Amino acid sequence: MTASQPLPYGDPAHLAAHQFLDEEAALLDAADYAGWLSLLCEDIRYVMPVRVTTARGADFDSLADMGHFDENMYALRKRVQRLATDHAWTEDPPSRTRHFVTNVRTFRHRTSELRVESSLLLFRSRGDTREPDLISAGRTDLLRETGDGLRLARREILVDESVLRTQNLAVFL
Amino acid sequence: MLDLAAALKQVRQGMIPAHIYADPDIFALERDRLFTRSWVFLAHESEIPDPGDYVVRRVLADSFIVARDESGVVRVMFNMCLHRGMQVCRAEMGNASHFRCPYHAWTYRNDGRLAGLPFHEEAYGGEDGFSRLGQSLLPAPSMDVYNGLIFVSLDPDAPALRDYLGDFAFYLDFYTRQSPAGVELRGPQRWRIKANWKIGAENFAGDSYHTPHTHASVVDIGLFREPKASKRKEGALYIAGPGAGTTYKLPPGGDFAGQLRHVGYPDAMIPAMAASWSDGQRALVADSGFMVSAATVFPNLSLVHNWPQIDASGTVAPFISLRQWQPVSARETEVLSWFAVDAAAPEEFKRNSYQAYLMCFGISGMFEQDDVENWVSITDMAAGSMARRLNLNSRMGLTSAGQPIKPPLAAFAGPGLAYQGFGEFNQRHWLSLWSDHLEREPAVPATVDLGGAR
Repeated sequence: MTASQPLPYGDPAHLAAHQFLDEEAALLDAADYAGWLSLLCEDIRYVMPVRVTTARGADFDSLADMGHFDENMYALRKRVQRLATDHAWTEDPPSRTRHFVTNVRTFRHRTSELRVESSLLLFRSRGDTREPDLISAGRTDLLRETGDGLRLARREILVDESVLRTQNLAVFL
Repeated sequence: MLDLAAALKQVRQGMIPAHIYADPDIFALERDRLFTRSWVFLAHESEIPDPGDYVVRRVLADSFIVARDESGVVRVMFNMCLHRGMQVCRAEMGNASHFRCPYHAWTYRNDGRLAGLPFHEEAYGGEDGFSRLGQSLLPAPSMDVYNGLIFVSLDPDAPALRDYLGDFAFYLDFYTRQSPAGVELRGPQRWRIKANWKIGAENFAGDSYHTPHTHASVVDIGLFREPKASKRKEGALYIAGPGAGTTYKLPPGGDFAGQLRHVGYPDAMIPAMAASWSDGQRALVADSGFMVSAATVFPNLSLVHNWPQIDASGTVAPFISLRQWQPVSARETEVLSWFAVDAAAPEEFKRNSYQAYLMCFGISGMFEQDDVENWVSITDMAAGSMARRLNLNSRMGLTSAGQPIKPPLAAFAGPGLAYQGFGEFNQRHWLSLWSDHLEREPAVPATVDLGGAR
């Protein structure tokens, strides 16, 4: 039973969801990845399909069987573990990132879950000679209400470029 | 001012003028002398399984439609309308019986033939003014297929692809023919990196020396244990035809099936692998004890095969990736990275192999992330004046007199030349092919007559 209308902006569930996304963004921009992992459910699915250019009538504009990310908790933990080693060269020196989260809309999904849509603009700067990178994406999340507050159970990232202009995805969206 | 002869002389001695990794003059030569002649990978047949399926791919600035026509034949057509030069197909994939130019509605069948143009009679006086019959989008000057891999060459006189691949076909089969069904490709992930295209091609061709350090983090976290130096230096480097690659040494004493199990292939796949490969190919695994890892087919198609651990219970899953280093400029490259898997593999294996790929390679891969950081940095450093004074030492594995510091491997069942341990034999081989191309005069193509004044 997915409600088709977003919750009013004054709804406590919407306010909680919006705050969750802002707090999450703050953790990512502070590179507190252990903190970020603690916001995820054990059964998390974190996917970012490859976006493609297709004709208007083609009925698809992303690949069903290929992502930039398609992660479970084990894979995400490994990524975070790697960034914590002394040998993750691509993020040492680290990128300066800013996750801008806007256009947040919250939908009642199941009794204990919210579906939250948001727009994300990730600014990423490395070093002192390179142009910064921007990644624009829409996100559809499932937030689950738990005894410890909201937790992320699923995230689908719909990136707005077919050819990404960043050297890698050593960052989370 | 570029002194090409002097630069190539250095390259042939294993000394690389650093500026070649950021030099617009070199890039122009590569465009005019190399990419106008060489075989270049475009797509795999599995990406366009059904009649009407197409993908659009480039060779540098040239856009091609790769389509399966109504009779099932794969066609590669220059994506430019014969009339005013519009890009006829502006999607990158799909299914279509015809491609209609949005400018004046000239319409082409999916085999390239011009099927219709509006007001032929009124505008051209019919066939006399413009002969519609027999007109077609320009076909790629040469097109050929090996194991479903579709290559084109802008040279109409290119050798047959199989002849070009030569001894490298032996190694290509490990990646692209694990069963009679062949591989299926998914993707590609596409992204742009501010790095020169040659660096990735050379790296995959033979840089086993970078693995222990660049990829130390993946050993630290237990994702893939093989890259540590003690194991990496036991691997063999091989040079065969236009390709070269790296291998890992397998544990001693294993038979063919045991070695494939060691790298994570399930029993269900092994009989087809045994049947699809020749005695020599099986012997490379079973007797020589080597498993292919990274490789490059000159100029810009690379392959990789690794076998990481993908879950907490220790499941080892091998994966294959094909990747293309598509030159954009001297300082920018588009990477196209496909996941490849045996089409007949069990679904569970395909799932595990896909996860292994995503964890290791591609835009988010934990190997590839650190590779690209290095390559961007090299390109950045190569762009200045000081880089024109520096010839980088790429002579690893050679004495000062130019002799290998140890003899080629005798016990290596594959064709070509193989060395065990670290060395830059493969990168020098790649750069010598590159030099051969840059020394040739640019190709002067014939123009195509579409029927003008008579």
